[in-house]
Parts: sequence; C-alpha cells; structure tokens
Amino acid sequence: MSELRPAYSNQFTSDVLRELRAFGPIASISREWAWGGATGQGMRVAVIDSGVEYNHPWLDDCVKGGVIVEYDGRRKEGVRISDDPTPRDLFGHGTACAGIIHKLAPDAEIYSVRVLGKDATGRGLQFAGGLRWAIQNGMHVMNLSLSTSKQEYYALFHELADEAYFKNILLVSAVNNIPAPSYPSLYSSVISVAAHEGHDPFTYYYNPEPPVEFGAPGIDVVVAWADESMMTTTGNSFAAPHIAGIATLIRSKHPELTPFQIKTVLYACASNVVGDKVTG
Amino acid sequence: MDNTTSSNPLAAQLQQWLLAIQATGRALLPSSNDELLQTIVEAAARIFGAAASSIALVDERAGQLVFRVAYGVGSETVVGMRIGLDQGVAGYVANTGQPIAVSNVQSDKRFARDTAEKTGYVPKSILAMPLIVDDRVIGVMEVLDKISAPSFGMQDMELLGMFARQAAIAIHQSEHLDELNHALVENLRALVSPEAAVDIQRAMEHNDALRHDDVMEIARVFQEIASLGERERALCLKILQAFGEYSGDR
Repeated sequence: MSELRPAYSNQFTSDVLRELRAFGPIASISREWAWGGATGQGMRVAVIDSGVEYNHPWLDDCVKGGVIVEYDGRRKEGVRISDDPTPRDLFGHGTACAGIIHKLAPDAEIYSVRVLGKDATGRGLQFAGGLRWAIQNGMHVMNLSLSTSKQEYYALFHELADEAYFKNILLVSAVNNIPAPSYPSLYSSVISVAAHEGHDPFTYYYNPEPPVEFGAPGIDVVVAWADESMMTTTGNSFAAPHIAGIATLIRSKHPELTPFQIKTVLYACASNVVGDKVTG
Repeated sequence: MDNTTSSNPLAAQLQQWLLAIQATGRALLPSSNDELLQTIVEAAARIFGAAASSIALVDERAGQLVFRVAYGVGSETVVGMRIGLDQGVAGYVANTGQPIAVSNVQSDKRFARDTAEKTGYVPKSILAMPLIVDDRVIGVMEVLDKISAPSFGMQDMELLGMFARQAAIAIHQSEHLDELNHALVENLRALVSPEAAVDIQRAMEHNDALRHDDVMEIARVFQEIASLGERERALCLKILQAFGEYSGDR
C-alpha cells in the first residue's frame, strides 16, 4: 500500500526507512549535547499561518504578539501589515502548529503571523509578506506549514529564504501533501518535513533521498484548535512544527549555530542515524 | 435593432433564436458536468465507506465556497450552501491548497455550531482535499465520517487526491464549455447585427429559406464543435469570427 501514501511520506514508512551512519565528528553529536536541558528560552518563533489563538489554554500565554498580513494591490510589496497584539485564529491550523512547538520548547516566545483570509487574490504575496516581516522583526525560527506551488513565486521565496539564512534565521517548512513542487520547502537552506506515523514527538527520521529531509509525527496528532478546542489531525503540516520545536531547543542552547549547522545536528540526532553516541 | 428586426423576418428569427439560447444557458452544448461530479462524490463516499461526500467551488468575488454536489447524510441541505473562505476546514483547504484530515471534529465548538445550524448534521471526521487546476484552487472535495474507523489516514488522503483530480478536470472542462458557449453567443450576436442581417438573409436564401431543420442542424454542428479538441475548437471559432467580420464589413 505504500504507493498510496501522500507525496514524500512514503519515504518514512517502516519498510522503506533505512539506517544511516554518521561519520567523523558528526557521529559524536548526541541529543544530550544538542538539546539536553534546553527549553527554548530566549527564542522567538514565528508561526506563519492562519493566526494563533493567543489565549488558548494549551499555549500558557506563550504568544507574545503578532501581525495580520493582508493583500493590498496599491502598495509596492502588495501587502498591508497591521499589528495584532491579541491574535486569533481563523481556522485553528496555526494554533495547532503553535501548540506543538510550545509543547517541545515551552519557554520560547511565539508570534502569530496571519497570512490567510477571505481574499484569494494576493495569497502568495501575503505569504511572502509574512516571511519578510519575520525576517525584519528579530525572529529566530519560522514555522511554515504552508507553501506555494506557483512557479511565479519561485524567485521571490528563494530571495527571502536566502535573506533569512544570512540573518541566521531558521526556516522549517512542511512539504506539500500532494505531489507537486512547493516553495519554500524545496530550497536547500530550508528544513523540509513530511509526516510519519509515530507519536513520540522526539522520534524523527532523516531521509537519505531528499528533497524532503526529515520525517516527524503528523498522523492522527492531537492538537490545539480554534475556540479553545482540540482536534485530531493528519497532514505534513503537523510534522513541521515538531522539527521547528526541536530546532528551537537546539538554537536556544547553541545560539551560535547557523541553519546548515542546525540541520547537521538534526541529522546526527535523527532516530535512524547511527553514530558514536549509540555504538560507543 | 427593433426597426430592422421588425422589417426583416430572418433577423427577427435569429434574434429569437439567440434569446432562446441565452435563456436556456447551455441549450446548444452538453449539459454541465454536475452529473459527473455527482458520480464522483458518490463513488468516493462508497469507496471510503463514508457517511457523506461533497464538492464545493470557490466563488472568488464573494470570498465564499459554494456547495455544488453532495451525496449521503445531509446532502439535500448542503447543495447550494455558501460558507466564507475564512471559515472551517474547507475554508482552510481552499486557502492553502493543502489537504487536511481531522477527527473528533465536534470538539471544535465554532465549527460544530456553524455547520449544525446550516445542515443539521455535524461530522466527527473530515477529509478535505483541494481541487486544483493550473496552480489555482477552484474548489474543495470533502468526505465525512469514515464508518469503519475513527479517522481518515494518509492513504485515504492519497486516494481522495485521485478523485479530486478527476473532479477538477471535469470542472475545468465545464468552465471551458461555458467560455465556448459565451463565444458562440457573441458570434451569433454579431451575425444578427442590423448591418449583417440583410447579407445573411441573402446568403441563406441562396441555399433555401431558413427552416427549423436548419436551426437544429446548426445546433448539432455547434455541439460537435464543442466535443472537438482544443485546436479544432480554436479553429472553428476563428472561422466563425472571420465570417462575422466578413458579414459586418459588407
């Protein structure tokens, strides 16, 4: 049945998943070194999505602010950004992602960047505007459980992804649930994530055959949802915040690490990667 | 136009014919693909063992989703229903182009209240898939309440993706036919313009008077044109347009 799985997820089923070896100094990186004792303290994480319900009981007041990005064809960048100090969530999806990140990195500050809404005209520009806001406003990690498959946005998102990289901001992006290219998840500086079936939030895998690099829990995940509710959900969307949460922990413990170095640490500590830490 | 048509029986007849086409919408062309869409939702519901299934289309101007076809529980009330693009699971899918599976849906209080008020039916699990044409989300296909399991899994998601592709193609073709229909009506409008009418009459009289059979024959030809490939349709349109222009010039 593996051929009936969504795009990229089939690379993380138990029958396909294979053990990988880490070599050299990378083999000695352990989870204890990577994030042991870390809580995400001092980190600002932007959730670029449908908004985050700031007072959801699962979020313990970790939402410290936010913005709403709306389409505005009269402006040069095509968007209007307004402050959203007490954000709400249109659908529940952003709150779900924030809840997963908060569970893993409880002391990280979360910022709601709402880029979805009624108006379909400038959705790609809204999404790009949200990324740009996060780059310019001191975020350390961005969770993008969204993507665009429109070729016309390829260059714009690539430029933003590079800008984020050079500012040492980590982009974690869910890959498309349907077999289509999706930006920015396909760029090499971005950490791309698909869903696997496990439920332990710290069990994640490295895929030896990218573009999608990591597999994290995303099937039947119990998440926070709009209006102080909860729900069980499935999708690559919910795998990305698991990796965003772990990356936030690593970044908070090792603030000097660059996105590619964090990716290497994530690789070394993946559940299917064997190094000195296991073999002794 | 009135002066001309009253003194010109052919123009009057053409005018009447044109009005009839406009009144019946797709009279000359295959009926819309609702029947095919209905078959797709029904097949999906049966294959998934789901209590209900539906397809809603995006109305970009209104910022809404309009339910076009439905099968199963609550289907009578769902068809024609509109929800905001910023609402609910379907709104999320239309916004992002990403499928999503949710279960224990009743715990989403707002969702439950809104849908219950509108349809009298609140699903426990939903699998929602975007209908995509040329990178554009044109609608959302949903299956509700898998009977054999508490939730829809990733394999269901992949499978529904196949149904959604079929539905998207069907809708796209139907849009195409609408455009073609519009173009044909516009060409006919040009033909019945006062300047052209006399010449057409002359042309028609040359080949016998215009009879009811001729109208039927033209209708049949148009139907054939509609079933041709894209290039052939484009060619036929060009010929029609050229004829319109030619008649207008003379």
